This record gives sequence, C-alpha cells and structure tokens, in this order.
Amino acid sequence: MKRFLKWAAGLILLIAVCAFLAFLYFIPPFFTTPPEEFSKAVREAAPPVTDITDPAERLLAERGRYIVVGTGCIGCHAQNGPQGPDYSKYLAGGGLKITSARGTIVSRNLTPDKETGLGLRSDDEVKRVLRSGVFPDGHIVSYTAMPWANFSNWTEEDRHAVLVYLRRLKPVRHAIPDPISTPAPVGPDIIERDYGSKDYGK
Amino acid sequence: MTALTGLAALTFALTVTAQPSGTGEARGQELYDKHCSECHGSSGQGDGPAAQLLLPRPRDFTAGKYKVRSTETGSLPTDDDLLRAVRQGLQGTSMPAWDKLLSDQDIRTVVAYLKTMSRRFGSEAPQPVQIAPKVTEQPGNVGRGAAVYEKLQCGKCHGADGRGTGAAATSFEDDWRQPLRATDLTAPWTFRGGTAPVDVFMRFRTGMSGTPMPSFKEAATDTEMWDLAHYVLSLGRKPAWEMSADELARFYASQEAEAKADPVARGKYLVDTVGCALCHTPADQSRRALPGLYLAGGVRVRIDPFGDYPTGNLTSDKDTGLGTWTDEEIKRVVTRGTLRDGTRLLPFPMDWPSFSTLKDDDLNAIVAYLRTVPPVKNRVPRPSRTFLPFYLWGKFKMLILGADPPITFYAGNVGSAGAGR
Repeated sequence: MKRFLKWAAGLILLIAVCAFLAFLYFIPPFFTTPPEEFSKAVREAAPPVTDITDPAERLLAERGRYIVVGTGCIGCHAQNGPQGPDYSKYLAGGGLKITSARGTIVSRNLTPDKETGLGLRSDDEVKRVLRSGVFPDGHIVSYTAMPWANFSNWTEEDRHAVLVYLRRLKPVRHAIPDPISTPAPVGPDIIERDYGSKDYGK
Repeated sequence: MTALTGLAALTFALTVTAQPSGTGEARGQELYDKHCSECHGSSGQGDGPAAQLLLPRPRDFTAGKYKVRSTETGSLPTDDDLLRAVRQGLQGTSMPAWDKLLSDQDIRTVVAYLKTMSRRFGSEAPQPVQIAPKVTEQPGNVGRGAAVYEKLQCGKCHGADGRGTGAAATSFEDDWRQPLRATDLTAPWTFRGGTAPVDVFMRFRTGMSGTPMPSFKEAATDTEMWDLAHYVLSLGRKPAWEMSADELARFYASQEAEAKADPVARGKYLVDTVGCALCHTPADQSRRALPGLYLAGGVRVRIDPFGDYPTGNLTSDKDTGLGTWTDEEIKRVVTRGTLRDGTRLLPFPMDWPSFSTLKDDDLNAIVAYLRTVPPVKNRVPRPSRTFLPFYLWGKFKMLILGADPPITFYAGNVGSAGAGR
C-alpha cells in the first residue's frame, strides 16, 4: 500500500512537471492559435467610424482607419494590460520601449486626450511627425523606431485621412515618459532593442 | 616672441570661445547635426540614414545644385532662396518648415553652415533673375497657357492632363541617379517651390537643377511662361480635405479603378508606406541601408526567448528570393504568418495580423509589385528556435519571474551576400 502511494505521488509529480513544462512551452499560444484570431483581434480593436455624422468626414476617417489598421500602428502603440495588449484603450501607447545608441523612447499616446495624447498637438504638428519625423521641440525620431520615412510616402491626402481617424479615437488618459537621449547600453552591432511586455507609460 | 605667442594664443582662445555663442560655424554644425543630418547626412551628401526611403531624396549640399532657385539655370541659389526653403519647407517632400521650430538666427546660422559644404559658394555670387512684371490671371491667359503647354511639350513628362497619364515617362533619375517622379500638376499642394503664380513661373524660368526639368527661358517668352503658370494652376483639383462626400466617394472610386489598372504602382505605394524595407533591407550600424540589398532580407532579428528570425529575401530572385513562390504562398506569409514550409511566425514584429486586414486587391498589388523588385541573390538562413531547455528557462523567467525579454534588431546582413555589392 505504501509503495503504491509512493508510486502514485511520483506519478502525479511527474505529470505536474510535464504540465508545467507544457505550459511554459505553449503559453502564450502564439503557434497554436489559428492565425485568423490574431487578425480578427486587430481588426475589431479599431473603433468603427459609423458614429461620425458628417458624411465627408466619415469617408476620410474610414480611409484613415483602413490605413491605420493595415499599416499596424497598434503593433507599437498598444497599451499593455496584464494579459498583453488592451485593445479597449486603442492606440493609447506605452506598450513598447525602444532602446538604442540614440537613447530610450516609449511609443506615444495617439488618442485625442488633451493632456497626454495627440489632443496636445496641432494638425500640422502631427502631420510633421508623420512626414518628417520632427517633433515640436525640433528633435528627430529615428526612422527605425517610428517609421516616419515610410509614412512620408503617403500622399498628403492619405496622411490627412489618418489624422482625421486619429482625432476620432476615444481619448485615453495615459502619460508617456519623455524620450531619454542618453545612449542605452546595447551591443555595438545592435541597431535597437525593443521591449514590449509591460506598460511603459505612467 | 613669448608675448607674441601669448597674444596669438589669446586671440585663438577668444575666437574659439566666441564661436558657440550663436552664429559661428561651430553653432552651425551643432544645429546641422541635430536637425539636418538624419536625412542630409553628416557630410551633407544627402545620404543620411533615412535618405534611402525618402522620395524625393534629400538634397546633396556638396554639389551646389538646387532645384528651387530664383537664379539662372545652373547657378547657385541666393541666400534668400535657401532661407525660404528652410523656413517654409518644401511641399511634397519630407523637408518641414523650420520657422516654427528654430529661431531666425539659428536658421541663418545653419544656412551659412550648409553653404560651407560646397566650394562653389566661395567663388560665385548668385543673382536673382530679372523678370518681366507679373501677369495676373485674366480672361484668355489660361487658354494661351494651354497652347504653351503644348508647344513646350510639357505633356511628355507631365501627361496631357498634367497628372502624368499618357506621358512618355513619369519616372526619372536625377543627376545623382536617384529616383524622381514628374510632378502631378493637378496637386498644387505638392509643388516643391510653392503654389503662388510667381513660384510656378520661376520653375519654368530657372528650371530645376539636377533634374530633367529644364529652364524654358530660351524656348518661351516671359509672357508665355506667365500664361503657362496660370494654366498649370488651373489644372489644380480640389484636395481630399476640401471635398464633399460625393466628391470624395468619386475620388476614392477613381483611385481604386486606377489601382486595379496598375497594380504594380499600387503595390509599390503599399510596400513603401507600410514599410517592408524597414526590416527587409539590411543596414549598417549607423542605420544606413547596405548597398544593393534593397528588400533582400538578411536582417538578424532575435526574439527572446523564441529564437532567431532573420528577415526573408523579398526580391524576385528565383533561387533565394520569392521568384519561385506562388502568389498564394506569398499572401499566406503576409496574412497568416505561415511560411511556405508551414513554419509559423510570431505575430510580431512581422505584423501579419495587421496586414491581413488589407483588401484582397491590395494584397494582390503587393505581390505584383514584389515580382518586379530586381532579383538579389541573398540566401537567408531559416528561422531557428532557441534550444529547448534555454527556451523553457526563458519562458519561465518571462511568465513566472516577470522578465521582459527584448526583440533585438542587428546591423549587417546574415544572408549569403554579406555586406552587399
């Protein structure tokens, strides 16, 4: 009887260890979740434009939404919650911290919040970042971190549509720390190192 | 002797300390390095890290060739020309207006500095051209301008309609062998030198140095060029941000029809703007693209704790690129993150979940464009997962101990082509 209990305990322990290793192996289930579910999540995360009453503005916002979603702004500008990106705070930023020889930056809050988001910025200021990577204080963000050099190839009309959509997002109060220009200790052959599992906002 | 040396040393010290005070070359260089070098390059050759992705490419200050001038063709610009470009920016390019960002003194200082980059400024004194009095728009001059448009064969590059439709060619190279497009004359908000009639007139009168746009001062009179300026401005359409809903709907429908008719152009637009080259073109440590490896992949991306995922070769090379991939296979990676052999990619940093939201026409356009990307032989190693025990240990740290594992982007090319051609 005692021997049986010993065996049983051993077996349970073994199963527990295996289950734990399997948990480590498969969670988060990036490779076992059907790809469609990831696609569905990012598509549904973007708020629709149906509540816009002005029909011209709605068409512009719809075009902007298509570009914002298809380009993948949410890939960097999500706000992370305890279980990964919290899509209900769409584009509230803080979900990515990029370190390089040029310093440390955190993805910014793109919602219209007046104190912590793009509500602070004029249309020209937002478009200038999207076209030239130049922030209101004159500093230029690296095109490898924020791909403004790619977005500069948008037609002015598409860039405007993107702005119209961003202006229509739900404002989320989420302060983002200012860029730090002190070089981060990355290796000499490293262009940048991106951290993305926490909320780097305040 | 000692006194003299001392005096010289003192003078030197004074000059040196005087310079950073606001307008000297040291201040100019400081401003330039901070605000200009990312695009124009630290030595002013127009080869900054971001330059490769910008169309048009940033100016090369060492050649002394400037597009937007008030001076005769081939001449240097005046100080006012340069100051205006820096203050107001250049429409239709990445050059922003700096007048809201820098003090006027700083703008003057940085212009003085960039003039030191070309020897020509030391020996030439550019003068603005003298032009006949402005001809304002009046009945008849738009019609006469249309005849001048025909006579000067503007349509050869800009198309009969000004948009480039039906033109012999709309893609060109400038004197630096960099790509260049004929300006769409129906979108005046992209005119580099400005949208006032005199701005447009001056482009005809003085040409745009370094580009195929010549000066027409021998071929046309000032009056003809004024008429032409009014005609070109009459081609301008309403920008999307001023359109009514009906106009917008028609505009987007016509864009869609054009994309269908020319999927390669649409695909290039998408690839350029979505930013495939960002990860699929290897760069050196200063973030400059390695030559000859456009979209050839080979960037080592380490995703801790999952493994190494070098970026794929997207060129049309049959052996190492997408040359033998079917359309469906390419779209499967772009929309489902699944490689030809069934290997699945993580949902980041290759953002296939987002790309999967693109319309099917747009996905087909991307494939059509990638088929036209010149082949580059660059065999990229397959993704390699982290050795199992290390992987599990990495996951343990991440899930249980709350570690924050990074994604690391490396400089250089891990493909067979090395540092490029």
